Amino acid sequence: MATTTTTTTATATAPAAANTNTVPTPTPPHPRPAAAPAPRAPSNLGPVKSEAPPTPSSTTAATAAATTTASGAEDLSNIITVPSYSAWFSFDSIHDTERRLLPEFFVGEAAAGSGCRGPDAYKYYRNTLIRRFRARPGRRLTLTECRRGLVGDVGSVRRVFDFLEEWGLINYGALPSGSKQAKERREEAVSQSSLPSGVAAPRKLCTACRSVCGLAYYACEKADISLCARCFVCNNYRPGLTAAAFKRIEITEDAKSDWTDKETLHLLEAVLHYGEDWKKVSGHVGSRSEKDCIARFIRLPFGEQFMGAKEDRMGFENDDDITDDPGAGVSKRLRLTPLADASNPIMAQVAFLSAIVGSDAASAAAQAAISAQSRVDLNDGEIDSSINSNMEEESSHTNGLSVNDLLKEAASNARAQLEKERNSIEQSLSEIVDIQMKEIQDKICRFEHKEMLMEKERQQRQCLRDLLFADQLAILHHQRRPQAVATESKNDEKPKPVINIS
Amino acid sequence: MKTVSLGASRPSTVSFRMPTRDNLVPIRVDLEVDGQRYRDAFTWNPRDPDSEIISFAKRTAKDLKLPANFVPQMLQSIQGQIAEFRSYEGQEMQIKEKIVPLKIDLRVNNTVIRDQFLWDIGNLDSDPEEFARTLCDDLNITDPEVGPAIAVSIREQLYEIASQSVSVMREKQLSKKGRRAPEFSSNSKAVNNAVDLFKYFGSKGSVIRKRKEWYLYEPVVDVVANEEDGKEETNNSSRPKKRAEEKVASLQ
Repeated sequence: MATTTTTTTATATAPAAANTNTVPTPTPPHPRPAAAPAPRAPSNLGPVKSEAPPTPSSTTAATAAATTTASGAEDLSNIITVPSYSAWFSFDSIHDTERRLLPEFFVGEAAAGSGCRGPDAYKYYRNTLIRRFRARPGRRLTLTECRRGLVGDVGSVRRVFDFLEEWGLINYGALPSGSKQAKERREEAVSQSSLPSGVAAPRKLCTACRSVCGLAYYACEKADISLCARCFVCNNYRPGLTAAAFKRIEITEDAKSDWTDKETLHLLEAVLHYGEDWKKVSGHVGSRSEKDCIARFIRLPFGEQFMGAKEDRMGFENDDDITDDPGAGVSKRLRLTPLADASNPIMAQVAFLSAIVGSDAASAAAQAAISAQSRVDLNDGEIDSSINSNMEEESSHTNGLSVNDLLKEAASNARAQLEKERNSIEQSLSEIVDIQMKEIQDKICRFEHKEMLMEKERQQRQCLRDLLFADQLAILHHQRRPQAVATESKNDEKPKPVINIS
Repeated sequence: MKTVSLGASRPSTVSFRMPTRDNLVPIRVDLEVDGQRYRDAFTWNPRDPDSEIISFAKRTAKDLKLPANFVPQMLQSIQGQIAEFRSYEGQEMQIKEKIVPLKIDLRVNNTVIRDQFLWDIGNLDSDPEEFARTLCDDLNITDPEVGPAIAVSIREQLYEIASQSVSVMREKQLSKKGRRAPEFSSNSKAVNNAVDLFKYFGSKGSVIRKRKEWYLYEPVVDVVANEEDGKEETNNSSRPKKRAEEKVASLQ
């Protein structure tokens, strides 16, 4: 008993003091040179794109020696071997690798809300497991004995355990039966970890496989479960639920995948050939759905510029919304039709050219054209020659002329529209003012009426007061009568000394 | 004016879940196959998929070197308990802000632990795991298996109470007498367990226990040596170290 406790303390305190994976010793036997560049360990293995540790044959293990304290009980020198691809490990902190491969502890509502399920819990599991292993390094730890000693739910413990095992922080160099399983699990982890890391926060975790759902996920309200697409397809949910209980929720749109140039090229060609038949277009593009094609097409940069002019023309004919500034604020509907309309030679040519030239050059051309247009004086209608610099000569000339005319027309029409707008605005303003005035007038009338009523009331009150005064006088008069019968005369209307009527 | 806060609670109905921060199910397995006994208790996250249960069972059997015919029985047991938990899940339970006494009376390997304390059912953020960890740390319990056992025991008791409150709700809904009476719900076990806080704290309203009652609430931890038959100490003071030292001395 005594020996194991001493080894525990020795190895437990030592790693805490170290920053690297090497455990400092008083008498290092022969630390290999690999120990020195340990902090840069991943670079030793060449470019490692994913976080998957490579196969064990290619690792250069950094060795470190730990000695027991000089208690004299036993003189074991336990060598704790940690593969160099796990050199980032330290007891005190959580590395990025861990955050990425075990997102359940770091991402999501459960982790954020509480300290229990979150990073603290992860650290507690991890440190306990590793210390336990390092107490008896030759012996292979089993999950069961570990989870019996850890307070927490066994699912999470298992995941941490598996993670540590495949990264060699646990059971590394232990019995051979372990290594085969470790290899298999590593391969699993490779497939799991090669998810698109370009997705920003907030990421959705699948409750089944605990990996980040990259594309879309399926949510079930009844049981508050969300699965990634893979688990949903594998029917990896409880028997109490049916597929109908799940709703598909998209996460990001284009972040799923970036359109490569080839795909964009295909798209443009397809649109050119098939026009608005998006089924055929998506078939031509290949790996994109109709929606994706349409969405991507709308977002292509070159379309805006030229479709602005075209849209104006179409707009006048159709009495659609016209924007003041040609080329800005194009509606989706109009944007789609011009290019697909084969009868429009300009658009067809532009599409063809941009398809040939590639999306970059096309976007550059579009930018130049936009800036050129803004510089165009609407009264003069001169087109800058900068357009020509990026496109081929003939097409640009023909484009330039027709664009010029269109511009003039567009400008004058725009001005007319502007005038109309202003007039209507003024009219409505004056209407508003009229109504307000009427309101105020009504109010004044009403107030006057009320004042009159009040005045009448006041007068009535005054009358009443007078009457009251008269009555009081009469009373007093009658009171005085018995006392002064003799001097009383009916005509004596001389008012007695004024009595204060309160 | 006295503000009445304790006990006069307005119950809120919540959809069924464990009244703890993490909705984890306590699972207890006790099997005997061909003379070999397997007893285990752990917490399970019901959101893990069923495939996890299968791999967990297989792995456990492998780790403990149990024969293969353990696996199906283990599976059955675990799945049965999880299914039972899920059968409660659609329903509502009524959380009154009750404070219930929980008891711990366990023997894990060589450690015996007994304790009782009050737990707030209405606190849906409570954390049995943290409690268990803290308890073990504070009492300097060296055996790491004690912690999970305590956590599972607490969860089991909480689960019991939660499932009872579901059946209480069901009874209420079924009776449909239309009585909008205040919460004088009568015969359910759970209510009887609850501590009537008015009586308990009295009119003085002090939250501190009287000194003479302290001994009732101290945890008792004993380390029992292997040869003995698990004598339990009746002495109520908790000084585990001293007792362990005595034992060591007596053995030597």
